[in-house]
Amino acid sequence: MAFLEVKQISFEYDNQKILDDISFKMEKSQIFCLIGPNGSGKTTMLDCIMGLLSLKSGKIFLQGQDISQLNPKQIAQNIAYVPQNHKKTFPYTVKEIVLMGRAAHNGLFNSPNQHDHLIAHNAIETAGIEHLKERPYTELSGGEGQLVMIARALAQEPTLLIMDEPTTHLDFQNSLVVLESIKYLVRKKQISVLLATHHLNHAFYFENNGLDTIAAMLNQKNFAVIGRPNKILSKDNIEKVFNINCQIIDYHSGRFQNQKYIIPLETIN
Amino acid sequence: MNEQKKMKSILISNRNKTILILLGLLPIAGIFYSLFVGRYPLSFIDILSVLKSAFNPRIIQNYPDIYNTVVLQIRLPRAILGAMVGGSLAISGAAFQGLFRNPLVSSGILGVSSGASFGAALAIILYGQNYMVYFFAFGFALLAVTLSFFIGQVYRSTPTIMLVLGGVVVSSIFSALVSFAKFIADPYNKLPAITFWLMGSLANSRYRDIFVSIIPILIGVSGLIAVRWQINVLSMGDKEAKTMGVNHVLAKAITVLCAALATAGAVSVSGNIGWVGLIIPHIGRMLIGNDNRMLIPASFFLGAFFMILVDNLSRSIIGAEIPLGILTALIGGPFFIYLLKKTKGKGW
Repeated sequence: MAFLEVKQISFEYDNQKILDDISFKMEKSQIFCLIGPNGSGKTTMLDCIMGLLSLKSGKIFLQGQDISQLNPKQIAQNIAYVPQNHKKTFPYTVKEIVLMGRAAHNGLFNSPNQHDHLIAHNAIETAGIEHLKERPYTELSGGEGQLVMIARALAQEPTLLIMDEPTTHLDFQNSLVVLESIKYLVRKKQISVLLATHHLNHAFYFENNGLDTIAAMLNQKNFAVIGRPNKILSKDNIEKVFNINCQIIDYHSGRFQNQKYIIPLETIN
Repeated sequence: MNEQKKMKSILISNRNKTILILLGLLPIAGIFYSLFVGRYPLSFIDILSVLKSAFNPRIIQNYPDIYNTVVLQIRLPRAILGAMVGGSLAISGAAFQGLFRNPLVSSGILGVSSGASFGAALAIILYGQNYMVYFFAFGFALLAVTLSFFIGQVYRSTPTIMLVLGGVVVSSIFSALVSFAKFIADPYNKLPAITFWLMGSLANSRYRDIFVSIIPILIGVSGLIAVRWQINVLSMGDKEAKTMGVNHVLAKAITVLCAALATAGAVSVSGNIGWVGLIIPHIGRMLIGNDNRMLIPASFFLGAFFMILVDNLSRSIIGAEIPLGILTALIGGPFFIYLLKKTKGKGW
């Protein structure tokens, strides 16, 4: 039984097909990179997997259970979400934000108990943001804010973490901080990560670091290709999906051999 | 770090707990203080002896009966009602602000106040100033919220914005109806009554007003206190709330219903009192932070205390009673600006 199985799903919005007959499987402790140009339906697909949108056809199974048969609480106890654009409203402190992740394990009229507080604290530790605990999260930098969202997701104690463009608006260092924390979660906490990104190199980053990585390029409502990054992220495939000329370079770094990196060169007219 | 230490570092701080307890004492102190404020000349000793014999009926009464009436039948119910009204308006305002993720929202956002205003005006025109005013005000307040709620369902993809929009539309319709009611009302006896009602007042409060409003207020306030932590999660937006496992439609409906009940219960006995539902939650944020686990009860206490103070002012500044709506705006507005400046918008 696959950890996550997506079976022939289609999704329409106002009679317009967005996703058409997509299938894939994902194993435990795997990183699945959903790659595609802007507007290709990555976010829609994530929303379908989280049960936020109802499918036109097809089924999604999480550990053998049909997602459409689960209520939001049951889904949230398994799948946590790190949003792309979190709109900050009230200046909650970091610990208050992270604690909200425990809503997945509490009823409508409950407030979090001691156990919830402890788990929230562990999530804060895991995300490495203990020093920010008391700060209003509205005052944090983009990278720190993203770590707070990751900590909140971890407080849900998920088996699958879904991330939508986790490094948008982040500089080099902050991007790496986020990527490294994903790496840590997969390796040390055995969490599976499904992330949408338009940064092709992220797929290589995880593969370069020896993680079990699958990449899929979404184009025109279905996967153009799916497989190991070093197999499918080829010059030709990238040219087809993104309409660009690029070069893929091999390099060595420390103990890792055959590291790959894509350099985008020019658009094709 | 051991578990106990960890726990301590993330639980609600003792400082905030202490603040909340102190805030809880404020309305009680305020009610007590109110007994000493008023036109009728009573000395400190007189009032104490009234209270003494109220608590212990065996004490032989050695003062005129009117003392009892003034303290126990006029000042006391008025202060209690003031606390209930102020607390309800403030707690609903805090809940709505969290729910709509908007700091400028107040307890009247979904048309509650304008609905109640029209109901009261209609009742005054039809039946004069009697108990029907409560029922009409309360009924139309809930009708307005229901209408807003259904308008909010028309276009489903952005329900929160649509709900606010629904509130704006319903409010303006009922405001227009209020104007119409004033236009056709008898200018010698009915129009002044409507105008006074619209400005808000706790004058003539008796125990029956408490009995009329306590049920919706009790349900509304305790409901909001029960769901207060979920309001935190709802303020993250619908999508995120849902991914955190919250049944956001149900949680929202409960919050709206409870806030509407509390507000409707309050305005139906007090008339239109603005500002409390807008500024008190912000004062609460500046004191105790944004976590609704603390903010929701803190808003209730602060609102209750504020209303008692304003009501005491309203009946002691000048010979006549100043309508509450005027005072809350006159005091609340500048005070809010002062707080913003002092805290540099912190908490925002």
